[in-house]
Amino acid sequence: MNSASRTLGAADLAGAHEEGAGLAGLDSAPRQGPPWWRVHGRSLTVVLLVLLVLSPFLWLVQLAFKPAADIFGDSLLFVPTLEGFASLLQGNFLKSFGNSLLVSTLSTGFSLLIGVPAAYALTRWEFKGRDRIALWILVTRMAPPIAFTIPFFLAYQYLGLQDTVIGLAIVYLTFNLAIVIWLMQTFFEAVPASLEEAAWIDGCGVWQAFWRVALPLTAPGLAATAVMCFIFSWNDFFYALILTRTNAITAPVAIVNFLQYEGWEWTKIAASGTLVMFPVIVFTVLVRKYLVRGLMAGGVKD
Amino acid sequence: MASVLLAPGWRAEQRRAFLLGLSPSLAVLLVITLVPAAALLVASFTPLSLTDPAATFRFDDPLVNYRQLLQDNRFLGSIAVQFKLSASSVALQLLVGLGLALLLNGKSRVLEGARTLFLIPMVLPPIVVALIWKIMYTPDVSPVHRALEHLGSPVRSLIANPETALWAISLADTWQWFPFTMLMVLASLQMIPDDPLEAARLEGANRWQLFRYIVFPYIRPVLVVCGLFRLIDSFKAFPLIYVLTNGGPGNVTEVTNYYGFIQAFNFSYWGYASAIATVMLVGVFVLSWLVGKLGWSDHEQR
Repeated sequence: MNSASRTLGAADLAGAHEEGAGLAGLDSAPRQGPPWWRVHGRSLTVVLLVLLVLSPFLWLVQLAFKPAADIFGDSLLFVPTLEGFASLLQGNFLKSFGNSLLVSTLSTGFSLLIGVPAAYALTRWEFKGRDRIALWILVTRMAPPIAFTIPFFLAYQYLGLQDTVIGLAIVYLTFNLAIVIWLMQTFFEAVPASLEEAAWIDGCGVWQAFWRVALPLTAPGLAATAVMCFIFSWNDFFYALILTRTNAITAPVAIVNFLQYEGWEWTKIAASGTLVMFPVIVFTVLVRKYLVRGLMAGGVKD
Repeated sequence: MASVLLAPGWRAEQRRAFLLGLSPSLAVLLVITLVPAAALLVASFTPLSLTDPAATFRFDDPLVNYRQLLQDNRFLGSIAVQFKLSASSVALQLLVGLGLALLLNGKSRVLEGARTLFLIPMVLPPIVVALIWKIMYTPDVSPVHRALEHLGSPVRSLIANPETALWAISLADTWQWFPFTMLMVLASLQMIPDDPLEAARLEGANRWQLFRYIVFPYIRPVLVVCGLFRLIDSFKAFPLIYVLTNGGPGNVTEVTNYYGFIQAFNFSYWGYASAIATVMLVGVFVLSWLVGKLGWSDHEQR
């Protein structure tokens, strides 16, 4: 008995030792991951978490396809319908969708047009006060929108820009210009200045060198920046709520009007929500690589 | 080396060109940010309102709005509400974001897919996020409410209950913004060098020790920056409150931003609302300065 237990103990020890050696061996082996059950355990947890976290979002999407009669029914199963989307076509929603598209495109275009050269100059030109300008632009980005809306609201009454697409596009410059300047600076920094100097030797002017050399090299970054501006403009609710009434109303404001005036037609409300988020999700998939940089540069706002 | 020889002529031409490239942006930013900020400050010294349009330039008692703010219980209450909302949602976002980043840090298709899917809440238009949570908190259409009802324990809507309304908003806000922390922490996790981790593992450190003494010190600056960014942005919370509770029940979800909005655009007390916005602006400036001092420089060094 005594000897048996001693043998057992020894075997245990030996086993433990071997196991320890095995783990140590695994850990120090370069390209070898943890054992399979650990990998799959983690993957399973992750998949469940994704489903749990995204379920509110998925619930909205399925509501958009649910027949109105089934909304308050008990069954989770239903025959998908496009009723909700069809009813949006009859109302003014398409117009507000178009307004969103127009405002976002205008504001993105204009902020790229004047912001990209500014970002280039700030990257390549070391002068006194450069940091201060950069900081001012960042702080602009962080200021609460209410601080801008009150003066803009009052000024627009006089200027006749209230409830116009142009007026709204101008207001969006308060955040879009900052996004362009901050983001594009990081992209231009990655281009060696010696390339433009070489172009200069070949007879290019400064802006010619920028146009032919620096800009093409930052093309993916430029695209990502444009997308980011577009998303921020598209997502805005606060400015549009205050600075538009009927003509220039954007899609997010139209959704809220559904919530307030249309007697809770959930299918329609969910359908409009689904339509509004669709472009943003497509764009995000396209530029997710640059997203961290974009959010870091611009901070995030509502 | 050629660049050093050529520098003078190129530099001189550059300076002229850069001034030209920079000025349009600076001019536009001046007009759309500094001018409104100055106008806001001026308006905050006047009793400007819809009932008294003539008061635009009346400065006989410039500090009247600020004195009134100190005695306005609804304003002081809104700061308390803001504090509760900001503190709870920022803390939750940091925790959830950090946890998920640690879970998702690794190379596998599942993990990478999950990373992209978890971005969805953050990029959705804020109004759609508000809509999603309006649905989640509406007993008729919310899957949670329906399920609980079937189980025989119906629950009152969280946003109709003064005890829970603010936490319901905090939960929705966390859902929307945890990906921000997650993304930033993931990015910094990938920059941790392998050597110290490897060495600690060989010394027999367990997972908690690895995290506490090696991983955490590396990501702490990022967490600070994240926290400050989210804190600044939490002052702008608007669509969630506007759609879910309208500041109610009572005033339990009325944050300062929302109170300023009501004073300006429901009651048309422009002067008073300008004072509120000015106070917020100063708060954001101070916090931005902190970002620069504490976090940003630290983060940039990496």
